[in-house]
Amino acid sequence: MQLLSGRARTLESAVGVLILLIMIATAVGIYFIQRDFNMARFGIASGQESQGDFTPVGKVETYNNDNLYEKIDGKAPMYQEAGFVKLTAQRFAAQSNSELGFELYVYDMNNAKNAFSVYSRQKRADATDLSDLGALAFGYVAGNEICISLGKNYIEMIGSAESNELVDGMKGIAKDLSAKFKPTDNDKIAELGYFPVEGTVAGSWKLQIDNAFGFDGLTNAYSAQYKSCEKTVSIFFSMRKNADEAKTVAKNYYDFLITNGAKAITVDSEILKSAGALVVDFYGSFEMVFPSGVFVGGVHEANDKQAAEKAAEVLIGRLKEIND
Amino acid sequence: MTEPNQENIARRQLLIRGAKAAASIAAAVGVARWLYDPKGPGAKNEEVGFLGTSVKGLPDFSVPRKNGQVISIVKGQDRAKTVNKAIELLGGIERFIKPGDVVVIKPNVGFATPPLLGATTHPDVITAVVKLCYEKKASRVIVTDNSINDPASCFTISGIRKAASAAGAQVVMPKNSYFSPLTLAGGVLIKDWPIYCAPFTKANKLIGIAPLKNHHRSAASMTMKNWYGLLGGRRNVFHQDINNIIAELAMLVKPTLVILDGTVTMMTNGPTGGSVSDLKKTNTMIASCDMVAADAFGSSLLNLKPADLPYLAIAEKAGVGTADYESLKPLRAEVT
Repeated sequence: MQLLSGRARTLESAVGVLILLIMIATAVGIYFIQRDFNMARFGIASGQESQGDFTPVGKVETYNNDNLYEKIDGKAPMYQEAGFVKLTAQRFAAQSNSELGFELYVYDMNNAKNAFSVYSRQKRADATDLSDLGALAFGYVAGNEICISLGKNYIEMIGSAESNELVDGMKGIAKDLSAKFKPTDNDKIAELGYFPVEGTVAGSWKLQIDNAFGFDGLTNAYSAQYKSCEKTVSIFFSMRKNADEAKTVAKNYYDFLITNGAKAITVDSEILKSAGALVVDFYGSFEMVFPSGVFVGGVHEANDKQAAEKAAEVLIGRLKEIND
Repeated sequence: MTEPNQENIARRQLLIRGAKAAASIAAAVGVARWLYDPKGPGAKNEEVGFLGTSVKGLPDFSVPRKNGQVISIVKGQDRAKTVNKAIELLGGIERFIKPGDVVVIKPNVGFATPPLLGATTHPDVITAVVKLCYEKKASRVIVTDNSINDPASCFTISGIRKAASAAGAQVVMPKNSYFSPLTLAGGVLIKDWPIYCAPFTKANKLIGIAPLKNHHRSAASMTMKNWYGLLGGRRNVFHQDINNIIAELAMLVKPTLVILDGTVTMMTNGPTGGSVSDLKKTNTMIASCDMVAADAFGSSLLNLKPADLPYLAIAEKAGVGTADYESLKPLRAEVT
């Protein structure tokens, strides 16, 4: 029995085909997302195959913005505020020594700057830099742990023990990772080159995507340790949309410090005066902030005023070069 | 006349199909409405409390306060020795545990990380406290926490399962049915929120044992923050109001005793840490009947002041305890 007209049948078929296409597209999408879950993509292991001396233990875990807290609880907001997309984690055990193993965390941070931000903010004071990961990668060893910023990925390898044997094994994997998962030129963080060439402590760079130094108006702030007058001070800059915005942010940061108890002080340096630097004594440490073209620059938590002034002078000169 | 008939049939068929679809949707909505429980899972257990008595919320596990025996601070590297001494200074375990007591120990088992990293309660403290409880003839000691990320791995890798079991305690893993929606009287955040209750309703003593850690959101994770593990549901929403939720949890939970293990302190990158570089040997064990006092002292080991932790002031104002721990005349000792 003919129940539907020709036009209705055509419409019904079209709707059916459309639904099928949507389902196929969904399946393809899931396939590509799931493909990322495979650690082989990172050159670590394929399924349950061993990687060198290390064998995967248990299943690969994946977390997104909705459930990241289940893995790292109170530290999740730090990653999420820096652009977190996905975490993939897997445990590995050493075949030669069942007491040794590590857990690998691969955080997809969406881009190299976001990855560098979480890497640099957590970098340990006693870290030893890994120098053989390639020009665009950053990495260090701290005790039982190796951390790497590799393109859009921030990677942690957390060793189960303080063991040279284990750390050496993890270093080998770190090297493999950097070779197989090379950052591209697009991952280069040019801003790290804006610090003064002389005096900046290599590897001390930090990037705070937002809320730098507790002030929510200071975003994308790069900082580094700088040797000045035989002291070490922290210098920083943030690139703004234009010079007017840079002036506004500098003034707002100064107001924020004053509101929180800082006392305005004067400086003798003509360079700082002409740059419009705002200087405060913040409970015994010195804070300086100034606009420089499209940049907001300054010195943070310096214990020595003279060292802070000299560092600020050098930074003003350097940022002027970049502006020009 | 074929075309008109077909169109009529098609129209009729369309109406029939439409009616069936509408009936299906209505039935689905009806079933959903019938199944909907506005109070959430476990609501029926809300009134079932401590040893069969009817209580609203968690029972009060605290013991009578004794002036001059509120907080003890013991220096030393050996956790078993320092925790024993700290409890002894407060009057001994007999002040807290009586024969026949059912004791729940709530460690921090939030992560599947080894004791080396200091992110979870150290198993040596668990062993020592479980043994003390059994020495005073506790009938049962339960060790439990709501580890949200694969509890079995958390309890195993942290070493807590092995330590607790070896000392004779029962290790209880969280289940959905163990949560009940509770409301804190006067609270702003804890309203009909699922709380990990069931293991506590069978006990009459509660001991919280926390490691001393830096915390990205709250600056410090100590004995008060340890109760965060009782929150069910999507508890990450409270990270946006971390100080108030810690204070409210401290108002909700009235433990018998809290122990703060500052033998090793996680100074940076908390609460997970990851590297031994985050840790510092601070060789201090604190036992206290006053959570606020314990955490106020603990802040000094993190190079903080009590004023740096807003939740201490909130809890103190609510009557939970005293942030000025020196006014309580802490009992101090050192063991080698």
